[in-house]
Amino acid sequence: MRDVYVIGAGQTAFGAFPDRSYRDLFAEAYESARDSVDDGIDTDEIDEAVVGSLGVGGRQLGLSGPAVTEHVGLHNTPCSRVENACAAGGFAVRQGVQAIKSGLADVVLVGGYEVMTDMSGDVTKYWLGVSGETEWERLTGTTFSGVYAQMASAYMEKYGATNEDLSRVAVKNHANGAKNPKAHLGFECSLEDATSAPAVADPLNLYHCCPTSDGAAVALLASEDVVGEYTDERVRVAGVGAASERVGLAERDSYTGISASQVAAETAYDRADVTPEDIDFAEVHDCFAIAELVAYEDLGFCEPGEAPRLLREGVTDPDGDLPVNTSGGLKSKGHPIGATGTGQVVEAFDQLTGRAGERQLDDPRYGLTHNVGGSGGASVVHVFENEEVAR
Amino acid sequence: MTGIESVGAYAPRYRLTAEAVEEAWGQFHGAGVSETAVPAGDEDTLTMAYEAASSALEAGEVDPADVTALLVGTTTPPNEEEAMGPRLASTLGLPEALETRQFTGSTRVGVDALAAGLERDGTSLVVATDAPRGAPDDEIEHAGGAGAAALVLTPDGSGSVTERAERVEAFPGTRFRPRGSEETTGLGVTGYDRRAFTDTVAAAADDLEADLATADAVCLQSPNGKLPYRATGALGVDGETLQRGTTVHDLGDTGAASTLLGLANALEDGHTDLVLIGYGSGGGATALAVDGDGVAVETDLEGAETLTYGEYLRMRGDVTPGEPDGGGAYVSVPSWKRTLPQRHRLVAGRCRQCGDLAFPPEGACTNCGTLEEYDEVELPGTGTVEGATVIGQGGAPPEFVEQQAREGAYVSAVVALDGPDGADDAVSTPAQVLTVGDKTVEVGDRVAATIRQIYTQEGVTRYGFKMRPLEE
Repeated sequence: MRDVYVIGAGQTAFGAFPDRSYRDLFAEAYESARDSVDDGIDTDEIDEAVVGSLGVGGRQLGLSGPAVTEHVGLHNTPCSRVENACAAGGFAVRQGVQAIKSGLADVVLVGGYEVMTDMSGDVTKYWLGVSGETEWERLTGTTFSGVYAQMASAYMEKYGATNEDLSRVAVKNHANGAKNPKAHLGFECSLEDATSAPAVADPLNLYHCCPTSDGAAVALLASEDVVGEYTDERVRVAGVGAASERVGLAERDSYTGISASQVAAETAYDRADVTPEDIDFAEVHDCFAIAELVAYEDLGFCEPGEAPRLLREGVTDPDGDLPVNTSGGLKSKGHPIGATGTGQVVEAFDQLTGRAGERQLDDPRYGLTHNVGGSGGASVVHVFENEEVAR
Repeated sequence: MTGIESVGAYAPRYRLTAEAVEEAWGQFHGAGVSETAVPAGDEDTLTMAYEAASSALEAGEVDPADVTALLVGTTTPPNEEEAMGPRLASTLGLPEALETRQFTGSTRVGVDALAAGLERDGTSLVVATDAPRGAPDDEIEHAGGAGAAALVLTPDGSGSVTERAERVEAFPGTRFRPRGSEETTGLGVTGYDRRAFTDTVAAAADDLEADLATADAVCLQSPNGKLPYRATGALGVDGETLQRGTTVHDLGDTGAASTLLGLANALEDGHTDLVLIGYGSGGGATALAVDGDGVAVETDLEGAETLTYGEYLRMRGDVTPGEPDGGGAYVSVPSWKRTLPQRHRLVAGRCRQCGDLAFPPEGACTNCGTLEEYDEVELPGTGTVEGATVIGQGGAPPEFVEQQAREGAYVSAVVALDGPDGADDAVSTPAQVLTVGDKTVEVGDRVAATIRQIYTQEGVTRYGFKMRPLEE
């Protein structure tokens, strides 16, 4: 099957923009992605669009996909919207890759968008919460923070992890996000700040939870047949993996790992013909601090129960062996649900093409993105490779 | 002759003291009451009835499937119209071929339900459950408590009711609640009210051949802690005999449950030669002479947490916000109805392929992936906490904001429900774990199921299981 390349990627700042529309945000991300294509690209060269959104807070339940692509001038271009809760954007990227690999398209726009901060807190909780298992789990009075807190309680009991272990995720990701001009919460925090924040859903406190953000992100994909028309850089989609898992936590075999992520990672590594040791950096889905710990283990960065040690030893710091969430992650960069997965691809593209500014890593070859829906009901992993570094 | 097999009794964990009310109002009008039982935010007369009835069935080792009639008495049913019997029967696992009667409109109806049950053959479950309320500053409110008592009647029940008498005499205005009102009131004509009570109960008692003076205890309707003792002269008993047959001093006025809670209390203390007198405004009284020898009793009446007056107002929902405008998660009533066997009775399924349990028994088996029918299995109701969180203010989804506002932080958990073969044959479910005060729940804690309100949407209260720590 044909190889697929990322020829451009861009995003809006993630943050609170209650007076902006989702179409407007999408247009900015689209322009930013177009500007990043070295030799330029015209709108009419795009064959297909796949976009992710949870549903923009219920204000446009149907057809928000065509609403954004027509808004930016992709007239009569097929567009479909992917919904997999917080993994909508990552799955949109995967669908775009499939369209090219299948031969159906040569150039595909993939992206995501969400506007949430103009809504009252109650509406936001309603909207986000019904992405979990509604009939049983939600009706015990939980939202996602509660379900991840249940996972954290099980993890802490099993491995003896502490509040400090969870808090190190916030300290690291805020330090990274402080260097990202696109970050929603681009400030640093101390371990003391993070350990002593008010409880949200015990054992998770405020610093163990990501914000709800507005924003949009777009990546442009091209087949190996046409990539040369757009750029000399070769950022290849080396591997893709995805899986689903039972939506309610209680239905699963384990509460201390997400099997969908484990399967997605294995598949992606296999297709890319790499092992976790080959990965130079990763953007992982840290919607809650416990999610980043669990991600290290699900992605094979360490053995189960070892994630706190990785953080303690600085392995995932920017100057460590395997930097994680150099963008700031969901915790600091922000989490505009449908845009998050594509936003991770923007960071991967920037790092692999030397555009990451203050956050730039030293000539990385392989970058990984990991995007999870809900508490683990869907997960998608991409491995990207800069083919120049390989040579 | 139909006799009393067993008795169960329940009162909520929360208490409000006379001092707390006096501090708030400057006065306390609940004469002779030192504290009252206050239902938790997710309790009502149906859930209290479940507690008392399941205790009675357990104490008597009676199989719910053998019950042929359910007779419920209360002045405060969850709805003025819509019978509570069918849902109560469902939570208790009573058969659908069941006679149900709901008695209401008078505090006498608890004893009346018992009198009606004694007329029947077969196994009957009699439940009296109540939580009377008045205006915030009046004597009915200050004395108002909560609780439930239940009796299992069987053809060969060892407790016998030897004689019965009823009296009515028209005394309007002593205690009444107009249609549509939540507050019971009265004209407060002291001498008249006292006469209505004393004359009526004494007349009913007088019709019995039993000598009240020699009874171990007289279980007399107790609207407060003083009025019953005004009748000592007319009844020919001493105060101590009355005190053995009432819970009013510690639970407050339990309305329709008052006399039967007194019965449970007296039996628990080993008194067997008893006279019960139910009284209701209007007025009328029912008196029964009971030989309670050999009746099994299980009571659960202890308080665990004392509320401030502010917490009490929150707990009752007087100062709480109700469901926010954003709307809550929508689970339709018909789809709720579909899952009642699970929500009321923990009916799980056993996979015909691999033998694993499934809860709810729907969809493919999470163990072997087989998608076919399950064999129904009723779970024993115990389990182990596998993961837990505490949802504080601001953390509750909209449909649980009211619960959070009433009770404060609550525990939401994943619980491994024991299978018929114990903890090694478990199946997991999300569930709230009920805690009182600052108690927390740890992974590994053992819990047991009870019935509570889950939430109310579109005016319809959904009831379902929640878990309670086994070591309180």
